Amino acid sequence: MTISDAHDSSQFGSAQRTQIRMRLSAAAINGFLPAAVIVLMGYFTLASPVFLSSENLMAIVTQNAPTFIVAGALGVMLMAGYVDLSIGSVLAVSGVAAGLAFTSWGAVPGIGVGIGIGIVAGCINGSLVGLLDWSPIVVTLGMLAFGRGLAQYLAPNSVFGFPDTIVELGSGSWLGVSYLAWGAAIVSACLIVMMARLPVGRHITAIGVNTRAAFLAGIRVKPIVFGLYLMVGVAAGLAGILQVARLDSAPSGTLGLGFEITVLTAVLLGGIPFTGGRGFVWRVLLGVWLMGVLRNGIILLNMGPEVASMITGGVLVLAAGLEASRRFLRSR
Amino acid sequence: MDLTVSALRKRYGSNAVLKGIDVTFRAGEVHALLGPNGAGKSTLLGCLSGAVTPDSGTMRIGDDEFPSFTPSSAFAAGTAIIYQHLQLVCDLSVADNVFLGQELTGRTRSIRSRSQKAIARKIVRDLGLHVDPSTLLGDLSMGEQQVVAIARALRHEPSILILDEPTAALSTDETQRLLVLIRKLAVEKRMTIIYVTHLLREVLEVADVATVMRDGQILWSRRVADLQFEDLVEGIAPLALVKDSIAARARGSVLLGLEEFGSSRAGSVTLELHGGEIFGLFGLLGSGRTDLLECIAGVRRSRAGSMCLAGEPVSAGSPRSAQNAGIALVPSDRQIQALFGDMRADENVLMPNYGSLSPLWRRRRSERVVFDRVASRVGLAPPRPDLLASEFSGGNGQKIAVGRWLTGLDDISVLLLDEPTQGVDVGARQDLYGLFRNYVAGLSRSILFASSDPEEVVALADRVAVLVDGRVVAIVSPEVGETELVALAHGGSADAAKRWETLP
Repeated sequence: MTISDAHDSSQFGSAQRTQIRMRLSAAAINGFLPAAVIVLMGYFTLASPVFLSSENLMAIVTQNAPTFIVAGALGVMLMAGYVDLSIGSVLAVSGVAAGLAFTSWGAVPGIGVGIGIGIVAGCINGSLVGLLDWSPIVVTLGMLAFGRGLAQYLAPNSVFGFPDTIVELGSGSWLGVSYLAWGAAIVSACLIVMMARLPVGRHITAIGVNTRAAFLAGIRVKPIVFGLYLMVGVAAGLAGILQVARLDSAPSGTLGLGFEITVLTAVLLGGIPFTGGRGFVWRVLLGVWLMGVLRNGIILLNMGPEVASMITGGVLVLAAGLEASRRFLRSR
Repeated sequence: MDLTVSALRKRYGSNAVLKGIDVTFRAGEVHALLGPNGAGKSTLLGCLSGAVTPDSGTMRIGDDEFPSFTPSSAFAAGTAIIYQHLQLVCDLSVADNVFLGQELTGRTRSIRSRSQKAIARKIVRDLGLHVDPSTLLGDLSMGEQQVVAIARALRHEPSILILDEPTAALSTDETQRLLVLIRKLAVEKRMTIIYVTHLLREVLEVADVATVMRDGQILWSRRVADLQFEDLVEGIAPLALVKDSIAARARGSVLLGLEEFGSSRAGSVTLELHGGEIFGLFGLLGSGRTDLLECIAGVRRSRAGSMCLAGEPVSAGSPRSAQNAGIALVPSDRQIQALFGDMRADENVLMPNYGSLSPLWRRRRSERVVFDRVASRVGLAPPRPDLLASEFSGGNGQKIAVGRWLTGLDDISVLLLDEPTQGVDVGARQDLYGLFRNYVAGLSRSILFASSDPEEVVALADRVAVLVDGRVVAIVSPEVGETELVALAHGGSADAAKRWETLP
């Protein structure tokens, strides 16, 4: 064995050690979100007898059903490296328009109107960003402002007095699970299956990893990006309908206000980097769950929602720090 | 000042790029650094300039010893590097480029542009170039831009100047002038000059010492006065490829026909590619090699002319439609344009064909079968579907990028390769050449590749088209040799020559 060989083999040992260290740190980073959820739920269980009851847990899901639906869809979009900031306003327009339609035309036309608003908004965003390659942030920020204005223009005051079907949709349940939770579960399952089992899931991730390579490999980048905006638009429209059904009113000024921040926080908590290319839908859902549990538990402990907000912010920044440390370890 | 490198090592993942480099670059000498692509030249330069941190070893400049550099500490130690792709801004003036990042400022922190211009004019003139320093850099020829880059490097009077293939984009006249200039800097200013090139004629002309690198090691380091041209050829092209006589090779009917085909640059191209043929496109930087491949592959639109595939006219509006017609491109800059670094090897291979492999629902088992078939066909090492593409070495990364079109799921009959072995080590290059030969063996498929490396063109091609400014100036057999190819590719521009003073 020559000297150079000896040196090489000792270096291989250090390479292996590096690999082991990277595995461990990867486990720590991947386990952070589940661990945070378990710790929080454990704490709230000990602190409040009501927390772990099935009614309370179901209430968390029901309350956050619109967030689950839109966060799942936005998470998939972010995996492709795109973002939609207009979701809160689209939710508001859809909710208000559906509310108006409920009161004058009835339940089914109202649902059609709400979803239709989502389709239209998604098509506009998708055409400008996906097909014409305009900046996603600017376009959807414009849509955010426009949509908020439109919602208030349509109904300066709160809309209420919905038909029974809608009230039932917002508060009823089937097999012990609320309709809202069913909605969130079905949408989530579809998204998980799409990303894991359908070819288009790989294409979406590929666009997020390397758009140029995806284009050169023959992936239809533009139609897929258009489709993602359409999907998020429809999700926001659906969320708008469910939200007004749950509230039994459509307050145009506050409906979906700050929703984009909540959803984006959940998506980033779920470990999807802002540049895309990586992530799992179930982790995004876990991120939504973490925020829902926090808000719920804090209220049970008679603290204000501002505490929940502070904790959420802290957890998010901590997660970002872990992500940065992962990149640092990989680059070495 | 002398620069001594001792026992320098660098490894990327499992891929050792520098395996213990010991070499001394002496003051007042031009030291040529040679070696095939993937020999580790760029990594060594990276270590010297601070772009790359070595794993172990030292670099000594004068009496100071450094384990590694950062770009700014290398600069402080007196090292200046000029890359092949100039790090200059075309939309700024010559003077602004000379001072870019280290502007002269007055007491109010505003730029003193008049003195910048005066100094820039003087430095550039000393280098033999007479231009107004307020001229936009983009209006100069490549050779003149190269001089501006040198002027920028010289402003701080470095003791060590590193030039990475400085003549790759220059015409013959410009190259001559640059070589004279480099000798002058070494002799008159006692600078240590490290000169990377793969043009052997230049080495004999300009260098005092030549060092040949191969596979991450120094093969030999000798004084040029004691060297023959043949020694250099043997040094950099050790594995003279076993090539059967080109004339004896079978050739099928015309597969791809280009008729007055206009790529997006000036000029149009007419050529015929036969089944079973590997056709090379050779030209200097900016000669339109990549543009031509991209137009054929539907990445960009052609401006004129027509294209036929097996006698049928085709027009590719997108990479996808080109692929449906049977034409696929393996682009250069693998990490940027071909691979999905954060995705698994099997996902990388199957990406274009997920749709046809599994119209709706993914079938993991058949995916695995296809991946295993491709991995064994291209000789992927390790043949693991679960590793991320970024974890493979350069050669294996390229095998993944090529393997994408060898799944047998699509019907690709014309494979376009841009710089097919860029950043690939010697052994893997042999594998790839064998793979390409194999691909066309049935006479029903063919390969069109572009390369800036004359050795590669000679080693791989059956016929070569030499491109200048987007036009084919000659179609020759590679048996004419590297020197002839390089000469054909250099079209001297008389217009630019006027601005240069006549050198002795």
